[in-house]
Amino acid sequence: MNAVNRRIYLYNRYERFWHWSQALLVILMMITGFEVHGSYKLLGFGNAVNLHTVAAWTLLTLWAFTIFWQFTTDEWKQYIPSLKKVDAMVRYYAYGIFLNAPNPFHKTAAKKHNPLQRLAYLALLSMVSPVIWGSGLFYLFYSSWKSLGIDAWLSLEAVAFVHTAGAFMMLVFFIAHVYLTTTGHTPTAHIKTMVTGWEEVD
Amino acid sequence: MLSRLKFILPLMAAGALLAAPTASAVPAEPAAATAPQLETIIKPKASTADHSKFKELNRNFQTGPQVTEACLICHTEAAKQVQHTKHWTWESTDPKTGQVRGKKNIINNYCTSPVSNEKDCMACHAGYGWKDDKFDFKVEKNVDCLICHDQTGTYRKLPGDAGHPVYKRVEFPKGSGKFVEPADLKKVAQSIGMPTRSNCGSCHFFGAGGNGAKHGDLDASLQHPGKYLDVHMDEKGLNFTCTTCHATSSHEVSGSRYNVAAAVKGPAHIRGKQDESPAACQSCHSDKPHHEAMLNQHTEKLACQTCHIPEYARNEIGTEASWDWSQATIMGADGKPMVSKDSAGRRKFDSKKGTWVWDSYVIPEYRWYNGVSTYKVIGDKIDPSKTVQINEVGGAPGDADSRIWPTKVHRGKQPYDKVNNYLTVQHTAGEDHTALWHNYDWQKAIGAGMKAAKLPYSGEYGFVDTEMTWPITHMVAPKHDALACEQCHSKSGRLQGIEGVYLPSRDSNKWLDMIGWTLVMLSLIGILIHGGLRIYTGKNKGQHK
Amino acid sequence: MLKVVGGFVAGIVVVVLLVYNFAGSLMFREIQSPFGVEETVARIQQNIQNAGNGWSLSGLRNAAKPIELDGGNVLPVLMIEACSTRYSGPILKDDSLRFLSNLMPCKISVYKKNDGKTYIGMMNAELIGSLFGAKVGGIMKQVSADQAKFVVFDASKPAPAMIKGTPGATSGGAGAGAAGGC
Repeated sequence: MNAVNRRIYLYNRYERFWHWSQALLVILMMITGFEVHGSYKLLGFGNAVNLHTVAAWTLLTLWAFTIFWQFTTDEWKQYIPSLKKVDAMVRYYAYGIFLNAPNPFHKTAAKKHNPLQRLAYLALLSMVSPVIWGSGLFYLFYSSWKSLGIDAWLSLEAVAFVHTAGAFMMLVFFIAHVYLTTTGHTPTAHIKTMVTGWEEVD
Repeated sequence: MLSRLKFILPLMAAGALLAAPTASAVPAEPAAATAPQLETIIKPKASTADHSKFKELNRNFQTGPQVTEACLICHTEAAKQVQHTKHWTWESTDPKTGQVRGKKNIINNYCTSPVSNEKDCMACHAGYGWKDDKFDFKVEKNVDCLICHDQTGTYRKLPGDAGHPVYKRVEFPKGSGKFVEPADLKKVAQSIGMPTRSNCGSCHFFGAGGNGAKHGDLDASLQHPGKYLDVHMDEKGLNFTCTTCHATSSHEVSGSRYNVAAAVKGPAHIRGKQDESPAACQSCHSDKPHHEAMLNQHTEKLACQTCHIPEYARNEIGTEASWDWSQATIMGADGKPMVSKDSAGRRKFDSKKGTWVWDSYVIPEYRWYNGVSTYKVIGDKIDPSKTVQINEVGGAPGDADSRIWPTKVHRGKQPYDKVNNYLTVQHTAGEDHTALWHNYDWQKAIGAGMKAAKLPYSGEYGFVDTEMTWPITHMVAPKHDALACEQCHSKSGRLQGIEGVYLPSRDSNKWLDMIGWTLVMLSLIGILIHGGLRIYTGKNKGQHK
Repeated sequence: MLKVVGGFVAGIVVVVLLVYNFAGSLMFREIQSPFGVEETVARIQQNIQNAGNGWSLSGLRNAAKPIELDGGNVLPVLMIEACSTRYSGPILKDDSLRFLSNLMPCKISVYKKNDGKTYIGMMNAELIGSLFGAKVGGIMKQVSADQAKFVVFDASKPAPAMIKGTPGATSGGAGAGAAGGC
């Protein structure tokens, strides 16, 4: 392998569709969600609630398809954590990146995410997601609490608290995620890959 | 529109795969719980009896009681029925607390008390001759049938006649140059029919001695209301009368502020069913009247009125916000009694009565309320260092039987006995030398009033701030004028001070917000530093190669 | 060079955006009234009648009424119309300015908001006048100065009665407003 650039097809069409529609929905949900929370006024409370709900159901639907896709294509294995080279990745982001050191991780179609990414996504899936979706579904079905007897042991205040906490975690993830997309060999390289599916590899 | 989209969008996206689970999440409920449509509402039809053909009524009546005697020839039980109602006794016992209230027993912060002022106040009594404490409540001919059943609009009762109608042409108000003609009692008796808005309104629109003064959600504009003012009473639309909601049997009129059905639960009522609260919104609309589950869920915390009566006194008539009796007996510059009006032409000052402040299109004050009010009755002790609550509104934040209600809070300043610490009864109306409006002497007026109320008076009076809270329930606006979400779901909304509910957008945990936004700021600062370092070190990159 | 031009263009864009954003609020003024709607109207009407400089009331319009007649609700909005022939005359005489009759008569609106308080809304006559040359600018500057006095209240004076309709107008019809000065 010489210095000649090689391209590999990393993200197929469904994956890209999933990623970008999810990105759009998450951004929409954060904008509307924090309005419902009372952080600012933008669309009006009623509109914000309705949009938030539409986006939630759409995202759930998208996830249903995506989970199906993950398992039929074995792509779920991309999220199996591995501690190998985690320290190398940490060192790279902590100072290697400033010294123009090479990225210790090399993307392949079989391993799309670096070990740190795997950990982050797994944390997102196993911690932030359940917090947001668990509380979110309770929130969404608040009107049925009484008939289900839930109101006896749960308060809207507690649900809103957990949901908001999850939202803050999501926002922090979002900020870090967007920033880290700029850490390819050019600032827009990762974003291009996510759009076209093709990754340029040294 | 969005609410529909909300369900259609995900369903479209889901396709067959997720159709089943998402369908169960659609909160829309069948529209079964909505009120009957216009064409199915039965309008009161002409009676099967033409009273002008009855020989009993074909005579020249001289007095009201003579008419009643004629009525009772056929309607043998009518007077007995009326004598069991508040309209006759001016008394009401709370079924929950046992407290005996009613106009006869409480002291409010408008005209205060009818005791010792019966000759004037009883213009609004459904009877004849209640002029002092010797009135016999058992005499059937003293029941006034006509004030509620007259359809000529000529039958009038004026202050000073102890409930008798005008028998002789009289100038009213005195010195106004306007005269009231006596009604032809024969014509009135022959005209009778079911009570109309004018019948009820002749007293209830003019409480506290002025159009709209007392209630705010009841005034003469409801005689010919437009849709904007009252969606049910709209003259060109549903055209409800008072009794369409205040269903009445055996002369017992349903629905009363003394005993409010504050949190009615369950489906709409069907005809024939025993109905405990026919005047409540829910008796026609159920407690789940909306298409959206999220809105229906609001009925567990809110009265219907809270959203659907966004403002009350929605007209130029307005209503009294306060009445300050301590200004009464102040005379004009010439030493003579004076009156003045506010910019809208409503009473503002009267040497007899003090000062008033009026308001129109009033934004209600909201309170948790379970329908039970405890009143200050004559002789109840007060704490003059605080604002005295004429009626303590029952219920508690979050309580299952309480709802957030819109209320009119009427502020008053009125006399009390400084030694005995109770509100005083004062003799205001009348031509005798102790009447406040005749002699402008508080000491004598209170003395006479307290004597009539059979209550000791120390001889020392002061003025105390009072508040009276009235649940607002009339003047329901068309549905598109109901409060919008953000009028409560915001930091400075209508329910700003209401506790016991977590109101998204109004409420949040301030610690969580602080920690959350700090983390967000830190991550932003972090990427700024990291990115800045990358840009800085990246500039040197070329030199390495 | 490109950077300089680019920066210049960007600067212009920013200024235009700012103007676009704030011009609306500059052209109008809103203040809170210490009185209720009716009393505010009555006091402004009284101020106008006492203002001199040819000012007189041309009418009182209730913008909420038509909405109510249509079955809808809106919080009270009363519009006081006033006119001064001293100021309107020179503008109306000039063919090139007659279109400005659109701005006549002068209007001050008094309305209630959801906080239960009463507000007064007025046009910034001076700023708007300045957009139409020196003549109009000069006139409108005086209008503006007079207008500012309309909303100065002396709470110690008793509240006057609100004047409904057009004072002095005989009856309805096209000519009814004539008595109101313009």
